[in-house]
Amino acid sequence: MSDLRQIAFYGKGGIGKSTTSQNTLAALAEMGQRILIVGCDPKADSTRLILHAKAQDTILSLAAAAGSVEDLELEDVMKVGYRDIRCVESGGPEPGVGCAGRGVITSINFLEEEGAYEDIDYVSYDVLGDVVCGGFAMPIRENKAQEIYIVMSGEMMAMYAANNISKGILKYANSGGVRLGGLVCNERQTDKELELAEALAGKLGTKLIHFVPRDNIVQHAELRRMTVMEYAPDSKQANEYRQLAQKIHNNSGNGIIPTPITMDELEDLLMAHGIMKQIDESQVGKTAAEIAA
Amino acid sequence: MSQNAEKVLDHFNLFRQPEYVELFENKKKEFEFAESDDKVEEVREWAKTWEYREKNFAREALTVNPAKACQPLGAVFAAVGFEGTIPFVHGSQGCVAYYRSHFSRHFKEPSSCVSSSMTEDAAVFGGLSNMVDGLANTYNMYQPKMISVSTTCMAEVIGDDLNAFIKTAKEKGSLPAEFDVPFAHTPAFVGSHITGYDNVLKGILWHFWDGKAGTTAPLTRVPNEKINFIGGFDGYTVGNLREVKRIFDLMGVEYTILADNSDVWDTPTDGTFRMYDGGTTLEETANALHAKATISMQEFSTEKTLPFIAEHGQETVAFNHPIGVKATDAFLMEISRITGKPIPEALEKERGRLVDAIADSTAHIHGQKFAIYGDPDLCLGLAAFLLELGAEPTHVLATNGGKAWEKKVQELFDSSPFGKNCHVYAGKDLWHMRSLLFTEPVDFLIGNTYGKYLERDTGTPLIRIGFPVFDRHHHHRYPVWGYQGAMNVLVWILDKIFDEMDKNTIVPAKTDYSYDIIR
Amino acid sequence: MSLTVEQTKQRNKELISEVLSVYPEKTAKRRAKHLGTFEEGKPDCGVKSNVKSIPGVMTIRGCAYAGSKGVVWGPIKDMIHISHGPVGCGQYSWASRRNYYIGTTGIDTFVTMQFTSDFQEKDIVFGGDKKLEKIIDEIQDLFPLNHGITVQSECPIGLIGDDIEAVSKKKSKEYDGKTIVPVRCEGFRGVSQSLGHHIANDSIRDWVFDKSGDKHPEFKTTPYDVSIIGDYNIGGDAWASRILLEEMGLRVIAQWSGDGSLAELENTPKAKLNVLHCYRSMNYISRHMEEKYGIPWVEYNFFGPTKIEESLRNIASHFDDKIKEGAERVIAKYRPLMDAVIAKYRPRLEGKKVMLFVGGLRPRHVIGAYEDLGMEIVGTGYEFGHNDDYQRTTHYVKDGTLIYDDVTGFEFEKFVEAIQPDLVGSGIKEKYVFQKMGVPFRQMHSWDYSGPYHGYDGFAIFARDMDMAINNPVWSLAKTPWKRNGAHA
Repeated sequence: MSDLRQIAFYGKGGIGKSTTSQNTLAALAEMGQRILIVGCDPKADSTRLILHAKAQDTILSLAAAAGSVEDLELEDVMKVGYRDIRCVESGGPEPGVGCAGRGVITSINFLEEEGAYEDIDYVSYDVLGDVVCGGFAMPIRENKAQEIYIVMSGEMMAMYAANNISKGILKYANSGGVRLGGLVCNERQTDKELELAEALAGKLGTKLIHFVPRDNIVQHAELRRMTVMEYAPDSKQANEYRQLAQKIHNNSGNGIIPTPITMDELEDLLMAHGIMKQIDESQVGKTAAEIAA
Repeated sequence: MSQNAEKVLDHFNLFRQPEYVELFENKKKEFEFAESDDKVEEVREWAKTWEYREKNFAREALTVNPAKACQPLGAVFAAVGFEGTIPFVHGSQGCVAYYRSHFSRHFKEPSSCVSSSMTEDAAVFGGLSNMVDGLANTYNMYQPKMISVSTTCMAEVIGDDLNAFIKTAKEKGSLPAEFDVPFAHTPAFVGSHITGYDNVLKGILWHFWDGKAGTTAPLTRVPNEKINFIGGFDGYTVGNLREVKRIFDLMGVEYTILADNSDVWDTPTDGTFRMYDGGTTLEETANALHAKATISMQEFSTEKTLPFIAEHGQETVAFNHPIGVKATDAFLMEISRITGKPIPEALEKERGRLVDAIADSTAHIHGQKFAIYGDPDLCLGLAAFLLELGAEPTHVLATNGGKAWEKKVQELFDSSPFGKNCHVYAGKDLWHMRSLLFTEPVDFLIGNTYGKYLERDTGTPLIRIGFPVFDRHHHHRYPVWGYQGAMNVLVWILDKIFDEMDKNTIVPAKTDYSYDIIR
Repeated sequence: MSLTVEQTKQRNKELISEVLSVYPEKTAKRRAKHLGTFEEGKPDCGVKSNVKSIPGVMTIRGCAYAGSKGVVWGPIKDMIHISHGPVGCGQYSWASRRNYYIGTTGIDTFVTMQFTSDFQEKDIVFGGDKKLEKIIDEIQDLFPLNHGITVQSECPIGLIGDDIEAVSKKKSKEYDGKTIVPVRCEGFRGVSQSLGHHIANDSIRDWVFDKSGDKHPEFKTTPYDVSIIGDYNIGGDAWASRILLEEMGLRVIAQWSGDGSLAELENTPKAKLNVLHCYRSMNYISRHMEEKYGIPWVEYNFFGPTKIEESLRNIASHFDDKIKEGAERVIAKYRPLMDAVIAKYRPRLEGKKVMLFVGGLRPRHVIGAYEDLGMEIVGTGYEFGHNDDYQRTTHYVKDGTLIYDDVTGFEFEKFVEAIQPDLVGSGIKEKYVFQKMGVPFRQMHSWDYSGPYHGYDGFAIFARDMDMAINNPVWSLAKTPWKRNGAHA
């Protein structure tokens, strides 16, 4: 159990978090690592590229059908995909009802009790956009993920989210031992993206682990519900993921306690890199008519 | 006016006086817009039928009169069994008021427990500051030796992390870093009170054995000759634990009772209020790791604790609330096997006396049909005893019983000719039981206080054995384990049987030929 | 050796600072505002109230669910009250409040039953609205004579965002306008039971008065129609009160909510006067009926002959001479009984000191009854009173009375230890603490399984009970004789 590496990927929705994590984990599997992916997003799309499936049956949907989670067996919920990567999806309610956060807690408790973490080298949690409540912080509690990798890009909202996630990590870092492993920038081809990502990493006290360049081959692979690692193992992009995987593998124990910044500092950073325009304070709160007058 | 200063009329008789009877009739007629007596009678009769029973058993969503409580109640029950320990329940404060009242009504004792009093703002922002302030207050005001933290459903829904919160509280100086604050998550929407007992007990052992939540080195097991004993969630904990200690002392067994709440729920009235009394010491709790084996009297109350202990290298043995000759035989023989201590003659004599008592009375019990409900292990223990007495446990029901329990009860039925026409009902409630008693009547019902409503509606005489018992006093001080405990159960059953015989034969010149002086 | 008022005040001051010295600084500062001594002439009792309890101190308070399901709604006998959420809340409050009623339980009456949605993990994760719909269907199927349903929310309902209002509306429509009342009384709302009372009052306003309109147009009214508001009929209290109002010539058209029915709630707007016993839990609906229907309301107190006489006359003053004469007739009729009760018990209780800690009404309301027996209240406080309760209390308490709001277990124990009253009146959680200390105790929520205590009939029982508690020989046995001069002296 002590050799088990537990990591988590967080990031703003739509940032390419699931794609990045699945490709990276596929690359780790290629390195001979035994991997378990725990999808913690009610959308349940954290394992589709590994399984070539639309969406996997989730722990919570199966539990609801069976009566309670005690009625489930591990083999009911665990599927095996590319390079024997084991996959489970926690699942959750439709948007707007119930409590998805509690679902994450239920699922992870179930997996631990059922011995899902035995005989593997890596557990990877794939968690939705933001740490919106205590439930979505479950993967970063003590004895869960040791390092968090934040997938981001040079877009403003992605940077905000990365900073917010760092705040969540900070909350648990002192008592629980969770660390920020680093940022992974998934290129969006915004202005000065690499520079900005590195600057943010510096502010947060961490490093940019890898800059994943944009490549259409990712989309080609996704259309076939595959990772690039499987679809085009010899491609340039596959090598990028191999590098990222290697870096993460070597990063064990190098995580840090992040130093999230204030909104003002973040805005200053964005302005310094020309992403955000300086706001003319005299114009704030003025209507179009007032400005014209 | 019927009230009288010399002979004050209580509610029992006051409201039967003509002025009140008239008041009730008038209120109903003029203001209540009540259903007609005919209609009420019609539905009342219908609710006794097989047709109603089938509808009733087709229920999927509604629960009516369940025989179970929630996890946090069991959490408190286990926590107070440790020396100087105050249970600290993280969540809404009303829950704690309920647990305390519930226990005080059963044991007729104070029940000390604190809440972190989370309110609407904590629902939004999390309950960290409630934990930080709360632990500091509890520590200073009530000077405990240990604070056992568990949760209500509120804290569980918002996902508060006890481990992290407690560590933060210590960092902020709420209480000393080395002060013992074991914890367990006990969501009310999972399992029942017996699950909460299990989780807290496991949490406390994990705390002491496995390095106090990562703050010290885990203990290394150095096996010794002692055994650990776990009673489980048990309304008779006071009488039972004392009886077990007596038996162990007679046998010369070295033992540790884990979660020994027998003193804290039986404190003397001598001018001093004892918030804490007795309990397993923290040292004993830590050293319990080294025991050669752990005995649980209630398998379903220790489903997680026992495997946890087994993982640490001990032998574990589980019983199902053993009541009766054979069950006590098995218990003693296991203790003897594990410890190598012979069963002393004194206990052999007690056994003989119990068999003697059964032989004296068996004619009155043989073939009688019983319905039983209660916690899963208690149901098993009572059903086994009834089979041993030649009675039929016709309906056995546990609202908090699952599939494994159901199977076990069926195996018990199959082991005896008296179990032939008996049925087990897992996950059903007392409204289901009501239908069972109407459609397939039995002679006696065994259950807790709430069974009195079934007695009223179905006329089935109730023998009160279980938890809670609010309306009879002091039975919790008597054991039901050991040969002497079985003797108590036998007497309670017999008393009811004889009382019913007398009630049924008491009409002068009609039935009183059987109103015998000797039975 | 009795203390002068000034000595008492000084003693209280010392006692309070001694108790506060144990708390962490922040807590001491907050608790200090809730502890004090009543000063003659002041407009209130000088303590803060109705604010959040402090974590970890062992507050005696409950929650909003307890205030709604346990107090206000639970006693409405012909409706089914669903404890919506996990099993515990309904289980612990099952039939424990002694709201007496007449009816066939399980058929047309449901007070002492526990209906719960018994939430499981999946209900939390996926939401419980569909389950609630099914529950309502099953209730209709199995309990066809129920007159209405309430949904009493437990904590998780508000946290997971279930829309119980939508379910209630939908099902009400499906069952021909059946009264189905969603109540947002999640336990984490507010600071005590008190907000639950308020929420429950509002739910009657919104879902009974406003939704159902006049369901009983055939109901004939008279000029003497009154409703009893805020009497939960504990041990039959409301009956012992109703009988007096009827005897003086009034017609009680509704009881809120002890032994009450949905129809009585619905017809209450037709009353000429609302008579309000528990101000704390039902002033909201009384004010609403005053504003909306022009029904005046009057507070009354049926504990002990002095207050009963005062109250009967006060109620009668809202009516014509016939009723005023009726009040005098009733007073005269019961006077011999009262004289006999007082003659019997007062000599046994004269000068005995009492400390109270109850909910939102009795910490002041029962004082007159004790004084009728020659007893003295030396300390009192509310579990969930507001400032208006502490204002009203000034009419009852004497100069120098110790006041403790939302008292903690620790404080109460220390106060009683120092003051050594002859009787403590509080709840089940406190009972055994003080009895262990050898102090006589009566439960003043449930009447300790006795009662009624309201009305003339109730006062006889009250007097008898106080005597049996205080003058019971058991208290002389508490101290071990060979230790009298030793450790326990």
